Amino acid sequence: MARPALTLFAALLAVTTTVTPALAQYRIGMSAAITGPASSTYAPTYEAYKAYFKRVNDAGGVNGQKVELTYEDDRGEPQRAAANAKKLAEGSILMVNASTSATYKPFMTESETEKLPLLFGGGVCPREAFPPASPLIFCSTSFGSKWDSRFALGFIKEQAGGKKVKVGFAAQDIPLSRIELEFAEQLAKEMGLEAIPVVVVPGNTPDFTPFAQKLKDAGADWVLSWALWHVEVGVFEALSRIGWQGSYLLYGHQQTQDELARLKAGNLFAFGGNTLFMESLPIHAEIANLVKGQTTHPAHYMAEGWVSAMVLEAGLKKCGWPCPKDKLATALASVSVDTRGLRGGPIEWTADNHYRKNTYYKVYRWDPSKNAIAPVGGWTRLEIK
Amino acid sequence: MTQVLATTVVVASLYALLAAGYVLVYRATRVLNLAQGDMMTLGGYFLFLVAAAVPGQPALSIVTAALFSALAGFVIYRLLMRSMAGHPIFAAVLVTVTLGILLRAAIVLVYTDRIRHPLPLLGLSNPPRRLPGGAVVSTFDLATVGVAAALFLGLFAFLRLSPLGIQMRAAGEKALLAAQRGINFQLLFALSWALAGFAGALAGILYANNVRLDPSLGVLGLKAFAVALVGGLDSLGGVIPGALIVAAVEVLSVRYGDPLLADVSPFLCLLAMLLVRPWGLFGTREELERV
Repeated sequence: MARPALTLFAALLAVTTTVTPALAQYRIGMSAAITGPASSTYAPTYEAYKAYFKRVNDAGGVNGQKVELTYEDDRGEPQRAAANAKKLAEGSILMVNASTSATYKPFMTESETEKLPLLFGGGVCPREAFPPASPLIFCSTSFGSKWDSRFALGFIKEQAGGKKVKVGFAAQDIPLSRIELEFAEQLAKEMGLEAIPVVVVPGNTPDFTPFAQKLKDAGADWVLSWALWHVEVGVFEALSRIGWQGSYLLYGHQQTQDELARLKAGNLFAFGGNTLFMESLPIHAEIANLVKGQTTHPAHYMAEGWVSAMVLEAGLKKCGWPCPKDKLATALASVSVDTRGLRGGPIEWTADNHYRKNTYYKVYRWDPSKNAIAPVGGWTRLEIK
Repeated sequence: MTQVLATTVVVASLYALLAAGYVLVYRATRVLNLAQGDMMTLGGYFLFLVAAAVPGQPALSIVTAALFSALAGFVIYRLLMRSMAGHPIFAAVLVTVTLGILLRAAIVLVYTDRIRHPLPLLGLSNPPRRLPGGAVVSTFDLATVGVAAALFLGLFAFLRLSPLGIQMRAAGEKALLAAQRGINFQLLFALSWALAGFAGALAGILYANNVRLDPSLGVLGLKAFAVALVGGLDSLGGVIPGALIVAAVEVLSVRYGDPLLADVSPFLCLLAMLLVRPWGLFGTREELERV
């Protein structure tokens, strides 16, 4: 009886000994909505991370150490996210969340409990990343609540050229979208725009027409939407169908390039923090070559995840080796990353600003005269205080 | 008001197409097919598959996709549901739940969760159409209403006039007696699944061209389930008033009440119906007792 027990012990010892060298690397845990209703927004981030760090590891890793990424699918559901957070926190030096805001709470709790840095890369930035930032929370995502509305309403006002305009708001029935557009409604009034109360749209409505009709009947000259893509576009298409003649501004998620080309509507404006791949920058070609055959989404869906992975790599470089979690949090708090044109400027974090010192926005639309997507002006910089 | 009316009819038509599938399967086999919404999604993806293979051939793509879906319904019965005969009904219902999950997973596996639009592949456009009274609907909205009307007329004619339809009704009412009279009720049950697949596919094809195609469209099936129950689960005729009531409440709640009610209004209608008349508007009372 003693011999099998000894053999088992020896085998376990051997396995443990074999596993130990694998620990000598940067271990990162990522939870993303790889499947589920919101996955079209978040799965590309997961794919970009995989492709990016494959290249990093193939080139020898960071500071001579490989980066080991563990991925878990949370489907955008909080209960799965809670289980993932527990699992990923074990042995990781940082967790990445690329999912819906519904999954944030368990990750933030786990981050706080384990004193583990948490990077939001793909989902909307939580307020803890903005000044005064929580020491452990970081965010590289291009979109951020309140700042997006500030830019969007400024853009609408500028486009109105001094004319009095009525602005409607199309939110989705998820807390973040509603809160953002309720904020925008208030802000619009403060900015001297006439604001129509927010219309909240259920994500799985069979027909967007009644919601569009409400906005049209209220006399909206402009409509601002900040929600998941299918709702943003669903309301626009319904408005077009019922003969609305106004202009529509939405947040440009990864689908923007495909959809602007599909809809070919001159009155549809998409704003965002990432350069569209139709601008054909050298970094775009580099990404396209790298992800070829590796991802289920096209290369132009990768920008959000790519920037996030660039920031993480910069943090790991700065952290050096060995890189315990507290040292990584300190390192991340002072990174400055040249995004090589993927964004309007660098991502710079400071001790109390883990969003970025400056955020940049650009607007695109379908230009009927050029029969192509075209930027509407250049980058607009907003200083984050 | 005319716009509200037009939207109500369009939404009701979509629900009716889906709800017809529930009723056809239930009438024949007494099984609640909770995968009906996912069969709608499957129809949309069949269209995408065919349209990607032969772009610019709308008629061929649509007909092939609808036939593939009917075949899928037939195969589902033969391979899966047939073996559930003799088991408790709830076990068969659970099989349909599992089937729905599997269909969704298979779609994600092949096509990912990306939103698709088959319309450009078909080489079609979806321009708005102004109706008398000023209401505006899309071309595919009109098509949805037309297809729903045609499907129901076709189904009524088939079930009342054709020998196969009469046999199907007979097998649904008394399978044992029908079998003793030489009716191949297994074939008829499979046919009812095929028709349900066909009806679901029509909804999926129209919706995918009109709005979007993604793996989560199946949730619309739940709203259509409420429609089938409001109309009466064993009454094809009940589907039409059921769909109109549910759609009207949904559209009116957006227009004149809180838009958030739109999501729950079908289930409020269902709850009200269950409290007042549990067997639905045109359902059979004894059917419910038998369930």
